[in-house]
Formats: sequence, C-alpha cells, structure tokens
Amino acid sequence: MTSQTPPPLPVTVAPAPARAPAKYAVTLSTRTSRVGETLLLVTAIALCLMPWWGDRSLIRTSTEFLYILALAQMWNMLAGYAGLVSIGQQAFVGIGGYCLVVFGVQMGLNIFLVVPVAAVVAALVAVPSALVLFRLRGAYFAVGTWVVAEVFRLLTANASVVGGGSGTSITAAVQGIPVWWRDALTLWGAVILGVGAIAAGYFVLRSRYGLALQAVRDSEAASGSLGIRVRRMQWMLYIASAAGCGAIGAIIFISKLRISPSAAFSLDWTTTVFFIVVIGGIGTLEGPILGTILFFALRGLLSDFGSWYLILLGAVAVIVMIRMPDGLWGWVLRRFNLSLFPTRRRLDRTP
Amino acid sequence: MTINDKPIARPARSGLSRRTLFKAGAGLAVAGAASAFPAPFVRAAQTFKIGFVSPRTGPLAVFAESDDFTMAQVRKATAGGVQVGGRRVAVEIIYKDSQSNSNRAAEAASELILDDEVDLIVAASTPSTTNPVADQCEINGVPCITNDTPWQPHFFGRGGDPKVGFEWTYHFFWGLEDIIGSFTSLWSQIETNKTVGALWPNDSDGNAWGDPKRGFPAVLAEKGYGLVDLGRFQSPADDFTSFLIDFKAKDVEIVTGVVPPPDFANFWSQAGQQGLKPKIVTVAKASEFPAAIEAIGDRAEGLSVEVWWSPVHPFSSGMTGQSSAELAAAYTAATGRRWAMPLAFKHSLFEVALDALKRSEGPGNPDALREAIKTTNYASIVGPVNFQTGPVPNVSKTPLVTGQWQREGKSLELRIVDNALASNIPVQSTLVPIGAKG
Repeated sequence: MTSQTPPPLPVTVAPAPARAPAKYAVTLSTRTSRVGETLLLVTAIALCLMPWWGDRSLIRTSTEFLYILALAQMWNMLAGYAGLVSIGQQAFVGIGGYCLVVFGVQMGLNIFLVVPVAAVVAALVAVPSALVLFRLRGAYFAVGTWVVAEVFRLLTANASVVGGGSGTSITAAVQGIPVWWRDALTLWGAVILGVGAIAAGYFVLRSRYGLALQAVRDSEAASGSLGIRVRRMQWMLYIASAAGCGAIGAIIFISKLRISPSAAFSLDWTTTVFFIVVIGGIGTLEGPILGTILFFALRGLLSDFGSWYLILLGAVAVIVMIRMPDGLWGWVLRRFNLSLFPTRRRLDRTP
Repeated sequence: MTINDKPIARPARSGLSRRTLFKAGAGLAVAGAASAFPAPFVRAAQTFKIGFVSPRTGPLAVFAESDDFTMAQVRKATAGGVQVGGRRVAVEIIYKDSQSNSNRAAEAASELILDDEVDLIVAASTPSTTNPVADQCEINGVPCITNDTPWQPHFFGRGGDPKVGFEWTYHFFWGLEDIIGSFTSLWSQIETNKTVGALWPNDSDGNAWGDPKRGFPAVLAEKGYGLVDLGRFQSPADDFTSFLIDFKAKDVEIVTGVVPPPDFANFWSQAGQQGLKPKIVTVAKASEFPAAIEAIGDRAEGLSVEVWWSPVHPFSSGMTGQSSAELAAAYTAATGRRWAMPLAFKHSLFEVALDALKRSEGPGNPDALREAIKTTNYASIVGPVNFQTGPVPNVSKTPLVTGQWQREGKSLELRIVDNALASNIPVQSTLVPIGAKG
C-alpha cells in the first residue's frame, strides 16, 4: 500500500434498492475441504502408525499403494497442471532405483538415506534433459521424453559396473536391517511421498503459483500474455516431478530387491499412472487417489486372468475416456460440485 | 489362478489384513464379518501351502504351457494329503504369473510370502523369474526351490559367494560348463571351418554366456574355434542385418546363442532372405519348444539345441511313478500338445518339494523344512537332485545332452544326437548339416 491513497473515483452511487445488494466473496476453503484436510491428516497418522497395528501384508500393500499414488501425482502435476504430457517419467524412476545400487550396495550408504539422494540425483539429471526436451512441444515433447528414458535404459544396460543388462540384486544392502524396521521405514518413506505429494500439490496450487499454473494449463498463450513466465513454471514443475520420481524409484526398488534396466526403466511405470490419472480425473488432486484405488481393486480382482486382465484394463480405460472424458472425479466435480482438496477459487454469495 | 484342494480355514493373523480391508471395501460384508471372527486354526496348521511363480504370460509364456497339467498332477497325487511325521497334511498350490517380468515376479513372491503366508515357494524358467523370487525368499526367510536357469546366472547373478552360499534358496539345473562342453562336442561331429557367430542378448543369460572368462569365448578359443561376436544386442530386436552382414563376411558356419523365441524367428527369416547358410545353428531358448519350432515352419528343420529332458531320458517320477516317456504321453493325451522340456522340470519342482515336506516337521516350521531341502537326495524325473554335491552351495546339477530337430513324416521331432557329458542318456541319431538331406 502506498502512503498516498488515490482519490476515490467519481462514481455516482445509485440509490439503494429496496433489498440489500448481494455480497460476493472469493473463497477457496469449503466445508468439504476442511473435511478433506482432516481426512488426509488422520489417514497420514494412521498410516505412519501402521507398523504397530497392521500385519506385514497390509504394510506391503499400503506401501505399494502409496508409491503408485505418489507416482500418479507426479505425472498429474506435469500433465494436469503444467500441460506437459510426458511418457518418459520411468527415466527418473530408473535413475532413483539405480542410485540404490551405486550409493547403497557399492558405496555402503544406508539404503534409506539413498532415498533423498536419489531425489537430488534425479533432479540434477532432469536439468540437461529439460534443456533438450523444452525445445519440443506437445506430441513431440511426449515422444522426446520417451526417447530420453530409452537412452537412460540403454546406457544403464551397457554399464557393466551396475550389472549391465543382467541387472543386480540389492539384497546385500538390505540384509542387516531387521524386518520390522525395513517394513516400517519403507512404509514411512512411501507415506512421505504419497501423502506429501498431495499436501504439496494442495498448498502450491492454492498459492498464487497455483493460479498461474492452472492458467498455463488452460492456455499457454493467454497466460503468457498476462505476464506469467510460462516456461519457467514448466521447468520448475518438470524438475520437481523428476526429483519426486527419483525418490519414488528408490522406495520401489527397496521393496523389489532386484533391479534390471528393463524393470527400472519400464514403460509400465508411466502407462500405469497414465491409466490411473486418466481414469481418476486429470488435473485434480482427488482423481489420482480414486484412480489408484480403482487400479488396485481391478488388479486384485482380475490379475489372475493373465492376458484378459490387461484387455479388461484397456477396455475400462476406453469406456471411461469416452463416457467421462475428464475422469471419474471430473464427473463428481461437475455433477455435485464436490471437492475434497479444492484448488479452484470460486465466487460464493455471502449471506 | 488359485487351486484349492478343499476349502481351507483362514490362518491366524495378528493384525488387520489386506484381504480383510479389501473385501470390506468391496462391500462383501459377509466376507468381512467372517474374517473378523476367524475360524479355529486347528485345520490351518495342517495345510502346507506352496507358492508357484511362473511366466504364464509375456514373451516367455511358452515355458509355462504345461503348468496347468503339472498342477493337476500334483493335486491328484496329494488328494488325500501327505504323510508328515505321522499326521496327514493337505497340500495347497497358489499359482502366480510373473508376466515374464522381474518386477512382477518380485511382487508375486512378496504377495505369496506376506498375503498368502506360504510355507514354500517354487519358481522356474529363466533368471527374470527365478532370481527376483529367490531374492524375496532369501530376505524374508522363506524356503525356495527353483530350476530352469543355468546355475551361474542364478548364483553369481544374485551376488552369491561360493564360500557362504544362501540360507533359504536352492536351485537345480545345468551350468555354462555343460552347455559349452556339449555344444562344442556336438559341433565336432561334422566338418566345418570352425567359425562361430554369436547371438547373445544383453540380459542375464546372454551376458553370462558371452562372459569373456566364465562364458563361451575362453573355451572356444582354447578349442580352436574362431568367434564372431558383435556384442550384446538389446532384446526384443527386429533387425539383425548388421549381424548377418558380418556373419556372411566372415563366413560363419556355426551360429549359436541364447535368444528369446520371437527374436530368433526374426533372425532366422532374415538369414534366409539375406542368404546366410550356416551348417549348424545351435541356439538355446528359441528352439527348445515345439510351438516355437512350428511357428518357424520348414526352415526349422536341422536346428539343434541343448536338451535338458526328453521322453528317452532314463529317469522316472517319484511322485506319480511315471517314466519320462509315460509323462510325455500323458501330457499329450491330456492337452493335445507335444512334450516340451519344462514339463518335466516343473514336475520335478513339486517332486523335490513334496520329498522335502515328507522329511520336514510340516507346515509352519520353516527351519525344519530348510534343513530337509538342504539334505535332499532324490531321484527325480530330471535326474538325481542333491544340494550337497553341487559346484557351489545350494546348487544341484542335472545332466545335459544336445538334440536336433529332424523330419519324421510330416512333423519335426527333437532327437538326441550327442551325449558327451551324460552317457547314461541314449543317443537317437547323429547331427546332420542344415540343408543336407539326411
């Protein structure tokens, strides 16, 4: 605020009507959003305490659920908010996984301390990748990300120090850790990443950066003309997403115990989250949660049917894409205007 | 697919299980309520659960073709339960698909260990399934028996130390020394210029076979063979032109390798188009299966391959009493398909598992089961299995011979043509150069 208040505009106020004028306010929080926040917090606490109340089977499934959810949020952040469709996020999952081999098995660093290291390494690798990729747009960008991921896969497959194409076991680095601690630490890592991805997305998207991001998603040209530095926003998100995927990759392969280039840099990581985000609802924070639940439910029910499982999964994706192009949560949002983690500002009439 | 002999009571659980949550979540209120008040566990302790991981789908699906037949045989053999230390124990097999993918194999093993709480895991068919499964078992303290991966990629590929070995995981199959010995013995049967072209992919098998010290190159040089090796290729591969140009330029007469079936089909049809005419083609993995051979068609005649089991192998099953020939005939009668080598190896996994079970203290006692597996001395359908006599701890070796696909009426039959390393297995024919009318 400047010290000198500008003189009021000469506006003649119309005589007051019989009824008081309706007042409007821009709101972000709603009753459901407070429910959403509480639910997230309670769930996070319950998950963190799971090693004391759940059995190993539940811990393992929760860990897997959380890292897939985190991965889906990372992809959603790029595609749903920055307008960057990447089909090469497996590059960073793989790099994170291979950090376990280099720093954990070979250099003897505690395997759980490798997780943050993996995030840093993936972010560092993302910088030169982005330099190349950001010269491309749209579909070319998507194909470019895949090419980058394949390059990393082939480089790793030819690096005999990390086992080359045969891959390598990381059991040696896990051997000394008691089972309870291994399960608990893996779970906590996954909770930080999974719940953290939602919380971080929630707070960032409600800030002015979030407003800018959503503008970028809707129209790069229009938001650019409004003074948003579009490329810089996309850069930041790309690198943040890479760091997230790197850390998730490390958590994934701590639970898998064996890594090979074809497993680490598998396109499956991206196609799985693609399915989850598209089914759940792209560009919402709730969508990936719903999508992950649906994915796990379908997998649990159908994965014993071999190839039919994949055909059914594909059929579900096709049907949802045709009937509900903005995903299940997109449908909920339109139908009931219900949002657990609202990131849109809305104009509400105040009483 | 889960195969149950009979309804099994739920095992005891300390906390809330994934299944409980899942069922409740799916709205199966009845199931949810039932698992909240689990049945008494008297019977649960009497069920021995075997987890079985195999590549049912994916590029290696051909290895798993006989799985359903084998499981039906095991179910029948254990229908009345198995006698363990004076009591009857029911046997349940829980089958999981590895999708020919090591990520999925690790997940399947971990589900079996944590969700199904199996007593033993058996797994087979190439390192992409056996290695991740064995790693999960080793770290979670669950006994594990695997086969159908040469023992070096299995043992050294998992960072095994020959002085220490592994605690929970046991493996039986042949090794690189056998494949090298039998291939070179086979090739010496006919006159060639001794120039060998190699097709070794960049995977666990390819890297082990092409390893300069432990693999083929050292032995080939020693025995006077020239080697044309263009390095490890990435599988799946659809263009082998660079290999073919080099093989032709260097006049390769013997082609060898360890190649997934689809890649080899590409190589061999391109070799035909581009005029490479080797006298001998001995490629493992790709030409082990009748289905893959039929897919190649007439050009498959004369391909040779290592043979780990055949209907003429002089062994019989301790589980069903069948001889090798009887097992192959029963399989064809039941499924209409021709025999393939994994048939007997899958069968033998369960033979060794049941033998160990009989000598153990039953379900819920992994240490006793591990001791029983460790002291296995068993005559199986694929030969003797004894983990004390292997080249490294935890490994037992099975015999290896070589065979050739030779015309017999309309179809091609795999006949054993060389038995230099296992003279107890009879030879049926001799090696005929490809293209020569034998």
